[in-house]
Amino acid sequence: MDQSAASGALVDSIRIIGFLCNWCSYGGADTAGVCRFKQPTDLRVVRVPCTGRVDPLFVAKPLIYGADGVLVSGCHPKDCHYAVGNLYARRRLEVLKNFLSFMGIDQRRFRYTWVSASEGQRWQQVVSEFSETIHAVGPNPLARK
Amino acid sequence: MVIGWGTGYDPLHVTPVFLRGLEDVSRLIWNPLCVQNLTGYLVKGALTPPLEEGKKIGICVRGCDSRSLVALIQEKLLSRESLHIFGIPCRGTLDVRRLMNESGLSQIRSVTIQGDHLVVQNDEEAHRFPLERFLARRCLRCRHPNPVIYDELVYQPITPRTAPEDAYRDVEAMEARSLQERHLFWSSELDRCIRCYACRNACPLCICQDRCIAETREPRWLTQRVNLPEKFLYHFIHALHLAGRCTECGECERVCPMEIPVTLIKEKLNQITRDLLHYEAGLDPEALPPLLTYNPNEAGI
Repeated sequence: MDQSAASGALVDSIRIIGFLCNWCSYGGADTAGVCRFKQPTDLRVVRVPCTGRVDPLFVAKPLIYGADGVLVSGCHPKDCHYAVGNLYARRRLEVLKNFLSFMGIDQRRFRYTWVSASEGQRWQQVVSEFSETIHAVGPNPLARK
Repeated sequence: MVIGWGTGYDPLHVTPVFLRGLEDVSRLIWNPLCVQNLTGYLVKGALTPPLEEGKKIGICVRGCDSRSLVALIQEKLLSRESLHIFGIPCRGTLDVRRLMNESGLSQIRSVTIQGDHLVVQNDEEAHRFPLERFLARRCLRCRHPNPVIYDELVYQPITPRTAPEDAYRDVEAMEARSLQERHLFWSSELDRCIRCYACRNACPLCICQDRCIAETREPRWLTQRVNLPEKFLYHFIHALHLAGRCTECGECERVCPMEIPVTLIKEKLNQITRDLLHYEAGLDPEALPPLLTYNPNEAGI
């Protein structure tokens, strides 16, 4: 499980799952696209109505089954379309983040963040940073089982 | 009706008993072999008949069990008014499986407690075992030996054996290992899991019953396939559904036929909710579990 020595071929097949809230981050990603900001291609996006919809198991399952990273992004706290969905999500996801490494899953593989629909630039930055992190961490060792 | 403990198929094994009249009271016992958390029977299982109007149900609880009761009352799965709680300060219960494995005893005639020893009489002779050496892991880290709610306290309260700051030393020992070692540890432990769901069934707070997503086809989280990821995911489901709710009664670990330390997973989640959200489950019947609520001005997240 020497992650740093992963070969180029494996790194190319990095897969990141993104759960984006319909109202902010999905719009933000759209804005980034419309503005033609260059983005890494590792991210597969799943649109959810709200980060409050994101069960921590949505994050755990891909990581257990071999996804290399999971990114959850929603409206900034206090800007939720449903008022408080992301506040529930914040607690759950923070607990999960602290829990993953206890079970032997690198917690750098999971990140949650807040991006509004107008923040195309910020979205580009978030995705690029996260993608770089995952490339540095390497492919998920659980994927080969 | 009163739910308590009684002698099982041999004196070393205790079984839950359901007292329906005065004549049953003689079946009740209390000793360090009373290992079951009985509170689950109040919310699931066909053994408990529906309550008649105005009637109460009696239940015997140790410190840990009383915390399960508090958690059930918090979530409105039980009403405090429908209960009559017999609280028992508990010095710790035994790991009966370890006792049986290490002693190799059979044909047990009687069991008595003499001071801090357990004396087991079988066909040939009397065997003495120090209670302290055979205590269950959950009891070695017990912070709440005295019931937190009760109507009647049966014995005098006792001092907890573990200070709050020492309660998570097993978790800390695990965290001292590297990520890879932890991964190997859980892979080999959880690989033994046979997905019998005993841990879920014994848990007083796992109350989804027939709707448990480990078994539903819609949504279909898990399949019948036997492989490590499915086992990992099952234990993630069980643990994450108890995050901020688990009272660490240790039933899941006690009933596991494969001797997997499953309570350790929940202990970690409880340590997180304690440090992050400053909450300890099962102490205040008025409180709301932290993951069922939110705080807009959260600090530290």
